[in-house]
This record gives sequence, structure tokens and C-alpha cells, in this order.
Amino acid sequence: MASPRRLLRTARQLTSTKTPLLTSQFPRHVSTTPSPPSPSPSPPLPPKNLKPLTESQREMLSSFLRVNQAGELAATLIYTAQTPPILACEPHLRPLMKHMYDQEADHLRVFNSLIAKHRVRPTALYPLWSVLATGLGWSTAVMGKEAAMACTEAVETEIGGHYNTQIRELLKMVSEWEAEGYDVGEEFTELISTLRRIRDEELEHLDHAVEHDAQKAEPHWLLTGVIRAGCRGAIWVSERV
Amino acid sequence: MVALSVKMYVVENILGKKHQTMASPAAVNCSGAARRILLLPTTTTRPATRSFPGRLSAVTSRPITTLPSTPRTKSKSTPKTQPSTTPPPQPLQTRRTYHSTTHPPPPSPFTQAETTLLTTALTSHIPTHGFTLPSLTLAARDLSLLDISPSFLGPSPVARLIHFHLYTTRTTLPSLASQHSDLLSGLSVSEKIELLTWLRLKQNEPIIQHWQQALAVMAQPFQVPVAVRELAMLADEIYYLAGDKSVDPSWYTKRAALSGIYAAAELFMTTDKSEGFQETRRFLRRRLQEAEELGGAVRSVGEWVGFTASAGVNVLRSKGVRI
Repeated sequence: MASPRRLLRTARQLTSTKTPLLTSQFPRHVSTTPSPPSPSPSPPLPPKNLKPLTESQREMLSSFLRVNQAGELAATLIYTAQTPPILACEPHLRPLMKHMYDQEADHLRVFNSLIAKHRVRPTALYPLWSVLATGLGWSTAVMGKEAAMACTEAVETEIGGHYNTQIRELLKMVSEWEAEGYDVGEEFTELISTLRRIRDEELEHLDHAVEHDAQKAEPHWLLTGVIRAGCRGAIWVSERV
Repeated sequence: MVALSVKMYVVENILGKKHQTMASPAAVNCSGAARRILLLPTTTTRPATRSFPGRLSAVTSRPITTLPSTPRTKSKSTPKTQPSTTPPPQPLQTRRTYHSTTHPPPPSPFTQAETTLLTTALTSHIPTHGFTLPSLTLAARDLSLLDISPSFLGPSPVARLIHFHLYTTRTTLPSLASQHSDLLSGLSVSEKIELLTWLRLKQNEPIIQHWQQALAVMAQPFQVPVAVRELAMLADEIYYLAGDKSVDPSWYTKRAALSGIYAAAELFMTTDKSEGFQETRRFLRRRLQEAEELGGAVRSVGEWVGFTASAGVNVLRSKGVRI
């Protein structure tokens, strides 16, 4: 279990090189780091030779989009529930809370449109996640600013790692296609770059939470431990149901 | 019409004895290996683009016991394959999973050989003989196949035939919708759903006198999962074609409601004697209208509860309660 700080540092290193995402540049080894641009530019071929997705790949993509939508739904609700109690005692946090909420709302919009576009079934436990996320956000916010920030820290730590796992899986799939001589369409390059952007924004929230005294919550280990375990359980269930 | 080349390998040590004692086409319930032997596609050079050039190789209706054990084909142009290559097992993939917008669609759950046989049965023999084994046997004869051939469709060839009808009508719905794009354009989502459901019901028209019988077959316990899954996928298809983008719990309630309405309308249609099935269409409209009214009522109640709750919380906050 990596400490949030260390995870943050890793994330910073991962995102330090901003390179355009081209399929030909995917490293053969599986990594979530964009590789440096290769000297030979690959001209886009009009008739794309795309490999049909296998049953297991489609299952995997369905579960990715489903769990991501559920996660972003929960995140928006957590911030919605946290905002009023926190702002009542710490009004100067308004811009930060609004910034984080806006980013989460944008993520939710992205995944809602992806789910509709790719005809993925949304999670059946939608009402349950709504209630649980609102309850989590509200109860931590009532416990104080530190507890709320610890909640953000715990959630975003899990989510950051979760997105990294997904990106790794997708890059593996894409690099297998390239190894077999198939093309990789924009559908997947865009999906991977979207996931990368969202992961970076989630880890940015983690950074903000740690800057705003998340570690001073009492008892920090218990709060983050419970919330992280809950997140992992929710991810596991959402991938399936 | 047959774009399929089929080789018949009858290996005596597997099927010979059964053939000699065969009384009726359904007498032999083929095992997986035997099924592969009965119908083997000739071109398996690239599995990704499995094509079947040439005609159906004529497997004549000679006495079966005289069939040689070596591969036999009349179409000389078709390349020869090793008898050891067998087609990959086709999973019964009829689940709703990730739909790629650019990648080629997943293969049909029916093999090319099955598709040919079932299409022939559906177009030529179902209107007269219904969803029965004789229809399949006659279709096999049309294709110069052995009478036994329908048994490679699995333990229940008739149910497979009905499933094929459900599958093809569902998968041709998008092209049907694009044919009627002038009618569909400018309609609201609920109107589109009504029209698409009606288009799908009209697809049952040629076989409507046999449809009760088919529904009875699909209501058997072993067939219920297939039938229910097809129904759910049909409702999903209609909502997708209508352009509905809801991704909340209403995703489930909408599809469940449409599935129920469609099933009821289908049953109604089997006894409908009116001109052009206009009574069925009125029935369908009434049911959809009722579902919409019910959905609207539930939504209104939900909105009222949500509004009242948030207003109550805000009142408490304005009184200084720290929540």
C-alpha cells in the first residue's frame, strides 16, 4: 500500500513529459508512462485494419466504463454533500471545493456519454452508491475539515491506482494489437488519453487534500483505512453488477 | 442464394453405425465432434475473415451407408483444407457488452453453415410447415444436405430455429430503421420507440400464424433464458435506435417496461384478425401511453420528495444547525 505522498510523486513523474498520444509510440513494455516521441511520424492510414474485440475484451471494457461512471457519480455526490458543512466553518475553501466538484462533474459527464455511446449497462446499484456516497461525504464533512480532506485523500488514492490499472490493461491490449500488425483506432487512443487526463486530475485532488491538513485528521489511519477498504469493495462490486 | 461451401465428412468409425440404423432425421443426437464432422467449412485459411466461396458442394442423397470416408466435394475451385482444422467453437454470445463504434462487430452466434440452413428453413418452409422439424429437414434437402443435418443445431433444433428468427429480426432492425429514416426523423424519443416496436412486430407478419407455437416452445424452461435475453436485447436495441441516452436507473426500468409491452403486443398480434394489424398497433400505443404516464407519476413523486428534503435541510441550516 503506497503512501499517498509517494503515489503523488510517481504521478508527477508520470505526467512530467507531455507528449502527444500516438499509437505508434506505445511502448512495447506495459507502462502507463507516455514514451518520448519517436523520430518517424506515422501517417494515418485511411482503411484501418482493426481487430474485432474478443468477448473478454468487451467484458473488460464494459466493466471499466461501468465502474468509472459509478466512481465519478460517487465523487460528485461526495463533494456535493461535503461542500455546505465545510464552507459553514471554512469559507475560504469555497474556490477549492468548487474546482474539485467541477472537475468531478466533468468526469461524470465524460463517462455518461461514453456509457451511452458504447451501450454499456450502467451499474444496477446506482441508488445504493448515491446514498452511500452522500452519506460518506456528509458524515466526514460534519466531523470537520481534516476528516473531509482525509476522505478525499483516501478516495483519490484508491481511484488513482484504479485508473492506473485500467490504463495498464488498455495499453497491454493495444500493444498486443500492434504486435499482431493491426491498427489502433482513435476510439482507444482517445479512451486512453481521457483516462490519463482524469487520473491526473484525481491525483491533483489528492495533492490538494494533503495540502489542506488531511493527515491531521484523528485518527487518520482508521479513517483512511476504512474508506479505502470501502472504495475497493465498491469498485469490486461495480465492476460486476 | 447459397454462398456456402460445405464438405461432408462422414467418418465411419464415428457415425457409420448410427447412419445405418438411422430411422428419422432427429434420431441421431450428434456429439460436438460429430457435429463438426457433419458440416465443415472449406476455407479456414484466416479465421478472422472466414468466408465461404463457391457453391454448396453437392452432397447427394445417395444411400448414406455408401458414403466414402474421404472428403468429397464437387466444387473444384474451393481450396482443400486439412480435415483436422475445425472451426473455433462459437460461444453463445448474446450478452450486452461494450459496443465498439469503429471495430468490426463480433461474429454471429450462428455459424455460417447454421445460418444457411436456418435461413432456407425460415424463408421457404416456415410459412407452410411452421416452426417444426420437418421445415428444417426440407431446408436441408433443398441444400442437398442429409436429412440428419438439422441435428447439428443442438439438442433442440426447433428452439434454435426460433432463436435464429429472433436474432435475425433483431439484427436487421437497424437497417429497417434506416429504410424508414424519413418516418423516424423529427419524432420524439417515445414516438420513435412506438414506431420501431411496430416495425419489429411487423417482421413477425409472414410467420404470424405459427408464432403462438413458437412462443410455446420458447416458454419451455430450457429455452426461457435464451428468450428472455433476446427480449432484453431487443428492448435495448430499440432504445438505442431511438436515441435514448439515459444512464441512470431508468435505463433498467425503461427496458423492462418495453420488454413487457412488446411481449404483450406480440401475443396480442397472434390473435389479431384486423386489417393490417391495426388493432395490435392501437394496443401497443395504449400500453406505451400507460407506461409513460406511470413513469411520469413516479418521476413527479421523486422530484417532490427530493425538493422537500433539500428544502428542509436548507431551513435547518438557516436556523444554525450544523448539518
